[in-house]
Amino acid sequence: MPELLAFQDAFVAAIGGQRAALSPWLDDTDHPGLTVYRNTIAKGCVDALAANFPTVQSMVGEDWFRAAAALFAREAPPTSAALLDYGAAFPAWLERFPPAAELPYLAGIAHLDRLWTEALFEAEAPVLDAETLSRLAPEGLADTQLALHPSVRFAAFEAGLPSLWRAARDGAEDLDLSETPETLLLVRRGQATACRVVGLAETAFLRACRDGLTAGEAAQAAASADPEAPLASLFAALIADAVFASPL
Amino acid sequence: MPPTAGLGLKPEHYADALAATAQGLWFEVHPENYMSAGGPRLSALEAIRQRRPLSLHGVGLSLAADAAPAPAHLATLKRLVDRFEPFVVSEHLAWSTHRGTHQPDLLPFPRTKAALSRIADNIDQMQTVLGRRVLIENPSLYLPLTGHDLDEVDFLKALVARTGCGLLVDVNNVFVSASNLSYSAEAYLDALPAEAIGEIHLAGHGPDAGGSGLLIDTHGAPVAEPVWTLYRRLIRRVGPRPTLIERDDEIPAFATLMAERDRAAAELSALEMADA
Repeated sequence: MPELLAFQDAFVAAIGGQRAALSPWLDDTDHPGLTVYRNTIAKGCVDALAANFPTVQSMVGEDWFRAAAALFAREAPPTSAALLDYGAAFPAWLERFPPAAELPYLAGIAHLDRLWTEALFEAEAPVLDAETLSRLAPEGLADTQLALHPSVRFAAFEAGLPSLWRAARDGAEDLDLSETPETLLLVRRGQATACRVVGLAETAFLRACRDGLTAGEAAQAAASADPEAPLASLFAALIADAVFASPL
Repeated sequence: MPPTAGLGLKPEHYADALAATAQGLWFEVHPENYMSAGGPRLSALEAIRQRRPLSLHGVGLSLAADAAPAPAHLATLKRLVDRFEPFVVSEHLAWSTHRGTHQPDLLPFPRTKAALSRIADNIDQMQTVLGRRVLIENPSLYLPLTGHDLDEVDFLKALVARTGCGLLVDVNNVFVSASNLSYSAEAYLDALPAEAIGEIHLAGHGPDAGGSGLLIDTHGAPVAEPVWTLYRRLIRRVGPRPTLIERDDEIPAFATLMAERDRAAAELSALEMADA
């Protein structure tokens, strides 16, 4: 093995607590510099997770969050230097993290934080606006596939987790989890991620569009999901949300 | 006007950076913070780049790892270089990748001849892919490793000779490393090859909160007076170079950082007046 790789292996082992691994390159006296490197690496990972999961941190407090994030970082260190993308596996990890068992909604909260970040950094693409849409003949619209904008994310929950997440993100202190199923829709608008809670009909409509169905089929899916839903106004609201990519 | 003194650009200062009027002001970012498909950071950088020169200062290519630079990382860096046309691209004499993981720090290594070959190859590859010369920055050091074949200045000189790269001299890193590893910061700076130096960094440091006596390169404080003294010594010898104030933690108001930046600009123009 090349010496440089052997050194890297030894250094990483020493950071992980196996101090003796570095003995070919470091005498056996106490070296606080190792702790400096260990702390800097941990801080880099934990700071990135704190930036990417602010709602989780606001709900569990900074100490709990940083301790959990440090454990996660040891098990699943970043695989890229672009730390704005770090933590895709954090929501699923929280779901299995024993101390989070008393907070069954925490993984869902983390999932919504992750979607918020994904929406923020997704690719640019022109938006289908009402004016462009109006140029499509009504009979043609039903057969048109409406592509979702790259920044669109949505997640459906059996309870009111999206409202809880929004309240926590806005800094509310009293948080209640309603039993109404909710879907959160997120999309980057301008320079920020916008989001709103939507119902069964919009969720079915968005799923159908994501799956490549036509607007007509998506409308049918929305009507079966919620026969009472006012489809025309729901559709107009989605257009106003800028969730569709322009085909032009 | 050529770039004189610049400032590390932080997202909380985008609006201030756009509105700034100082002559010769330029900005520097870590490209890793802009490695997204789209979004607000890229838009803001685009707007600022319309008005100001930009430097891309990498922290994640891991040139001192025993592996070639990650192709995806290098390709993304190339796209950023093509899009933003920076006047300088730089990286560190350090590693952060190891067997598929990324350790977010700038880690040390024994400066052996074998390491020199590997790192020179990595710099070659970086320069070939980017199609331009890059600058390599001296790291902050915290461990008295043994097994070096070359001291750091000779190692940097050898990289310059082998790859044609230039040097980014971080004066604060020299001060911190010299203090931690007990050597002379002045002698180190005096031995650097003047013609290779393309940029200078100035930042703040602090004592290790753990009480070890080590100095830590925190980028979380104003530039210390002894670092300003070393900076003046360096530019008197090598001449003016684009000089950056770096601040990544405990970030103060833009105007506070601009005051430090203006001090560096004043040092540079005092030098030119003395020459005239």
